[in-house]
Amino acid sequence: MSLLKVEGVSKSFKGLQVLKNVSLDLKPGERHVIIGPNGAGKTTLFNCINGVLPINEGRVEIKGKDVTKLPPNTRVPLGMARTFQKNNLFGPLTVEENVHLAVTAVKPYRYRWFRPLTSYRDILDEAERLLKEWDLWERRKRVVNELSYGEQRLLEILLALASGPEILMLDEPTSGMSPAETAQTTRLIQSLPRSISLLVIEHDMEVVFAIADRITVLHHGEVFMSGPPETVKGDEKVKEIYFGGGAVAHAHR
Amino acid sequence: MNKQLPLAVIVVLILFALPLVLSNYGMRLTTEIYVMSIFVLSLGFIIGFAGLVSLGHAAFFGLSAYTVALLSKHVSTNTYFLILAAVLVAALMAFITGYLFVKTSGAYFLMITMAFSQVLYAIFHQTRSLGGADGLSVNASLDLGFGAIRGTYPMYYFMLICFLICYFLLHRYIHSPAGKATIGVKENEDRMKALGYKTRNYKLIAYTISGAMAGFAGALYAYFNHFVSPESLAWHKSGEALIMAIIGGASFLYGPPIGAAIFVVLQNYISTYTERWPIIMGVLFIALVLTRRGGVADVLNLLWRKLTGADRKESATETTPTVQSGVSKEGSGE
Amino acid sequence: MDYSILAVQLMTGLAYGMLLFMMATGLTIIFGLLNVINLAHGALFMVGGYVALTFVKEYTNFWIALLLTIVVMAIIGVLIERFLLNRMYGKEFEQVLLTFGLIFVLSDGAKWIWGSSPQAIPVPEALRFAVTIGDISFPAYRLFVVLIGCIFALILWYLEAKTRIGAIIRAGVDDREMLGALGINFKLVFTGVFCFGAGLAGLSGALGAPILGLYVGMDGDILILSLVIVVIGGLGTWKGAFIGAILVGMIDTLGRIWFPQISMAIIFALMVIVLLIKPSGLFGKEVKA
Repeated sequence: MSLLKVEGVSKSFKGLQVLKNVSLDLKPGERHVIIGPNGAGKTTLFNCINGVLPINEGRVEIKGKDVTKLPPNTRVPLGMARTFQKNNLFGPLTVEENVHLAVTAVKPYRYRWFRPLTSYRDILDEAERLLKEWDLWERRKRVVNELSYGEQRLLEILLALASGPEILMLDEPTSGMSPAETAQTTRLIQSLPRSISLLVIEHDMEVVFAIADRITVLHHGEVFMSGPPETVKGDEKVKEIYFGGGAVAHAHR
Repeated sequence: MNKQLPLAVIVVLILFALPLVLSNYGMRLTTEIYVMSIFVLSLGFIIGFAGLVSLGHAAFFGLSAYTVALLSKHVSTNTYFLILAAVLVAALMAFITGYLFVKTSGAYFLMITMAFSQVLYAIFHQTRSLGGADGLSVNASLDLGFGAIRGTYPMYYFMLICFLICYFLLHRYIHSPAGKATIGVKENEDRMKALGYKTRNYKLIAYTISGAMAGFAGALYAYFNHFVSPESLAWHKSGEALIMAIIGGASFLYGPPIGAAIFVVLQNYISTYTERWPIIMGVLFIALVLTRRGGVADVLNLLWRKLTGADRKESATETTPTVQSGVSKEGSGE
Repeated sequence: MDYSILAVQLMTGLAYGMLLFMMATGLTIIFGLLNVINLAHGALFMVGGYVALTFVKEYTNFWIALLLTIVVMAIIGVLIERFLLNRMYGKEFEQVLLTFGLIFVLSDGAKWIWGSSPQAIPVPEALRFAVTIGDISFPAYRLFVVLIGCIFALILWYLEAKTRIGAIIRAGVDDREMLGALGINFKLVFTGVFCFGAGLAGLSGALGAPILGLYVGMDGDILILSLVIVVIGGLGTWKGAFIGAILVGMIDTLGRIWFPQISMAIIFALMVIVLLIKPSGLFGKEVKA
């Protein structure tokens, strides 16, 4: 039984085909990593799965339910959350306020209008728990625009976790991070419980092999191959696609 | 909030004590400021906290005023009935038009709200039975059940209380979960959608609340002025409200009322010397925009932070609304 | 039904539409390229009319007045762009606010200089006759305005389809960053576009003065219609401005005669319908998400 099923998805932009007949799935507890050279269509795929971009062909199913034509905000109630490749946070607000928003999104109080948000203890408690888990509690009163890039990247993931998803989609979580930050983030991702299944886009091969149960290689918008890490690692063709053009294996800052 | 509570109490006390130092004329002017402040509060709210820039807010103001005028003439002069009906009419109009308009963004929203209020203006201007270009007089007086509220002092305190109530309600709203979500939608709508929020709902709710409040101001205005004319629907009125909101600073809830006060006082003062108030207003406004400050409230907030050493502001956000050329894509559905 | 009167009414509507078209083109291009709604556009239209009035009184020749008006308005456009809008480069909301403040300066300035009683420019002598087709006589001046509008449309079509300028504008509307990447001095383009728009607005105002007259509050009326046209037609596209303007011009003129109380409401309803069906306007491009 797959939590997430992507079947035959194709997407074109003004005549340029970006995704062609992409199929993949995510099993409960799985860590499924998508890799591929730049321009392979990985983020576009995420956007299609998440409902931000309409699909030309194919379907997306979450826990058996067809969500292909539904808007992005329907994903969260179904247990899916995502992060963005470029930090997509609430810049002028504080870290705390960012997390409050994320936590409140799945609460029944999100339309309450009289009592202050800060009077809802469970929102505050959950935000506190998340912030402490991910080491951002000390920085909670800081305005997000003032955070370091790495901290913002962590917050990016935190916001997605706040809704308590079963499917967590991470778009290049360690992009732009220093080696120390990357290691910390990798540890944190590894520590995520198996009750959350991960679909991750990554460029950094060390991170990929540290977390992946299964790897799908995307090339020119098509699924080139998909399988366990050892198989992909050893495949000659993959090496050619990925490293042949002089692409760098490690994407450290 | 807790640091600011004493300050708020002091301000309220001052407002209550003002009649001690004001002349009759000054009191009437200040009463007018309270009514306009409610109107401008509502506009500042959707601009600064929901990111919806409207140039047609006078539609709700004027519609409400006319509702009071017409219903008091043909149906009843009961104050509760009139004000309630007027606010409901405005709220309904805001909900319906909001439902249609909120899916547009930025520039389109600005234009269509402006056009809508002009249509209403044209209708009321052209229709004899609605008073036509001459307007209508309002023969009702405010009576909450213990005597008519007439005269400078009662009017002053009544409008002041109305203003404080409106301010309080909005203040609660922006700190509530719904209000914070609204601010979030203004800040980063895409992220809010990704977090699972139905963003359009929040915009619509904010717009409806704002329209209702603008309507409340319009109803009060009908009583205060004893007269309504199509001009209260014209885009000039909306424009003036926008100027007041911007002068005061729309990212703070208390900004627009300050802007209203400054504007009304300046307008009154300068108009006694020259007919060229519009040019002066235009130049002052342009100068203000060029200085890139977020209005008077922004300056005040800076001073307050310096004085108290606070390192965060109690505002919506630092960003200004955007008037982009984009039309929001809703994906599919919703 | 008196067909001759109807025909003249239709033609008046068409002439009005042409004036609006020329105006709206400036507005929509400014909007498409600079991302700024020039709220002062109606005021520029009106000022153009007044300026032409002064020149006509000074030189008694309508045509010279027209030319001078274009020059004056273009200069005003350059001044506005260089000294006001340029200062808030990249901050479109502030720029819109600036044009908003400008409305008051321009319209009250006009009232100050030219007074508040309605004025008019007489129809130029060369065109003070009627053209008879069948047994309908059309005022020649209105035909002239329609002709100018058509010529203008043709020029635009040519510029867009066949020259670099058109390609640049189209590219700029689609993707502003691309202009910079192409090495084009977009600051110059912006000034040029605004100057073009202002000159056009002024020209329309001058041409329109013999038909519409000059009165206080005219800038607001024209502005509303122009905005409606841009919403209906779509931004950044002169074709949209053309269709939108003809539609609006016709409905407004005929509406005032047949349904005076709801002519505005009809126009507005049209705008809402377009917004519901095709939010980016009839000819507008689907904007990036």
